[in-house]
Amino acid sequence: MKSIIILIALLISVVFIRLNTEAIAEDTSAVKSIILPVIEGELKEGAGKDETAAFCNICHSTDYITMQPRLPADTWSAIVHKMIVVYGAPVNEDDSRTIINYLSSTYGAGK
Amino acid sequence: MGINDMEFSRRDFLKTAGAVGLAAAFGGFPSGLFAEERRLYKFPEKTDLILLTSRPPQLETPLHYFKELITPNNALFVRWHLADIPTSVDLSKWRLKVGGNTDRGLELSMDDLKKFERITYTAVIQCSGNGRSFFKPRIAGGQWQNGAMGNVTWSGARLKDILKQAGIRSGSVDVVFDGLDSGPLPKVPDFLKSLPVDKAIEDDIMIAYEMNGEPLTMLNGFPARLVVPGWFATYWVKALREITVVSKKYEEFWMKPAYRIPDNPCACVPPGSKPDKTVPITRMNTRSLVIGPSAGSTLKVNSAVDIMGIAFSGGYSIKDVIVSVDGGKSWREARCGTDMGRYSWIQWSHTWKPVEKGKYTIMARATNSIGESQPIESLWNPSGYMWNKIESVEVNVV
Ligand code: HEC
Repeated sequence: MKSIIILIALLISVVFIRLNTEAIAEDTSAVKSIILPVIEGELKEGAGKDETAAFCNICHSTDYITMQPRLPADTWSAIVHKMIVVYGAPVNEDDSRTIINYLSSTYGAGK
Repeated sequence: MGINDMEFSRRDFLKTAGAVGLAAAFGGFPSGLFAEERRLYKFPEKTDLILLTSRPPQLETPLHYFKELITPNNALFVRWHLADIPTSVDLSKWRLKVGGNTDRGLELSMDDLKKFERITYTAVIQCSGNGRSFFKPRIAGGQWQNGAMGNVTWSGARLKDILKQAGIRSGSVDVVFDGLDSGPLPKVPDFLKSLPVDKAIEDDIMIAYEMNGEPLTMLNGFPARLVVPGWFATYWVKALREITVVSKKYEEFWMKPAYRIPDNPCACVPPGSKPDKTVPITRMNTRSLVIGPSAGSTLKVNSAVDIMGIAFSGGYSIKDVIVSVDGGKSWREARCGTDMGRYSWIQWSHTWKPVEKGKYTIMARATNSIGESQPIESLWNPSGYMWNKIESVEVNVV
């Protein structure tokens, strides 16, 4: 069940990235187009990496996570809840706990 | 102010005091520039910039570009909020809509926009969070060092003239700006910003369609963006599609609770605490930066070196810049370069000949024409905005 949810989340992000970076065929002089590079973000190994890589890559790249300084666990918890409550991240209670644990132990500032 | 009359051809940064000396003294890239090992990446129409995030793109300008008075288009920083950014615009179809509490609605093509009187001035564009990574305690968000800014010559139409053509009705309160970007999922708030009407009809507010004499780059807001000189770039909505005059205070997400600062004179709170009351961030505070020598450089005893940098403030010219080489114990006034108007940065320089070996701490402090300056200790706020602490650059004289 869990892996299905992750798969769906992955699919959403993949489809989205494709839509966003597809080459545009039209070529009239009034059209200006660019093609954005697709850059794979890298998350450190750890329990909860898959959930994080799936859900936290839907709306933005995971470098939103990796660029942060080491943050205390309650800050990571606040960030994940902001993503859910304010921005509508489709993450359930279970997964959010897994993700917060992963972020706090992998990118955390300790106590 | 006459800044609208300023000609682009006056941009001759090599004539500016300091620049020549600096090029001679520090040919090539300063060492230690990429101390934090941040990755460089090339995006369309851009040179190698420091990658903060890829989707949406947030790209920072390496410091050495600020040796120049004008920041080249391909080096200007990039900051989008929402992943669905415009990557293709057809100018034969693109229209800037203007409406709301107005006598008539407008749908302006690029040709229509260019029929309004063209104005041009040089203005610093700076992200509210520039320097966020320097705050202690650290703050989550875009981990910018000093490269989320640039000095650009903008050209376009006066917003005021456009609003006049639409006919603002009485009772109007705010003017709301929407760009072509949008959130990737429905609940993500669209990026809209507003200006109070009184601000929106100031002479210098511009709908810019050119940067440094060229069309805007896609990542900097092609085909047209708002320019609010003196105010932080959060208002400078990119890839504009709609301007709406409203008769009620506009307080959606990106105006409230986002982009707020403590409502007190220092816009600060004790580090780690929360303010009771906030207001939208608006005007930039005064800043100066030491661009050369770079931190960690090794200089030779008894040979003169030009300490150089830049200084700017939120719409009031820089009155003076003072420089210290002894960690703030004594100060000397720096020479200032070409004045490109009150919204531009100026270059400054100070010739220094260290006569003893050892470690030195170089500092610079700017003051603007209304007396606003820079603090010795940083002023903390929960979002990490308005960083303007006096910076220290350590060098070694051998
Ligand atoms: C529904 C969309 C969405 C999802 C899913 C999402 N985010 Fe975000 N996130 C955003 C938006 C929008 C921003 C603000 C972007 C900006 O200003 O550049 C943001 C910003 C951030 C930031 C920067 C700090 C801040 O508060 O602006 C971090 C860190 C972050 N997200 C982490 C995560 C993590 C961890 C996850 C996985 C649980 C996640 N995001 C999932 C929409 C989302």
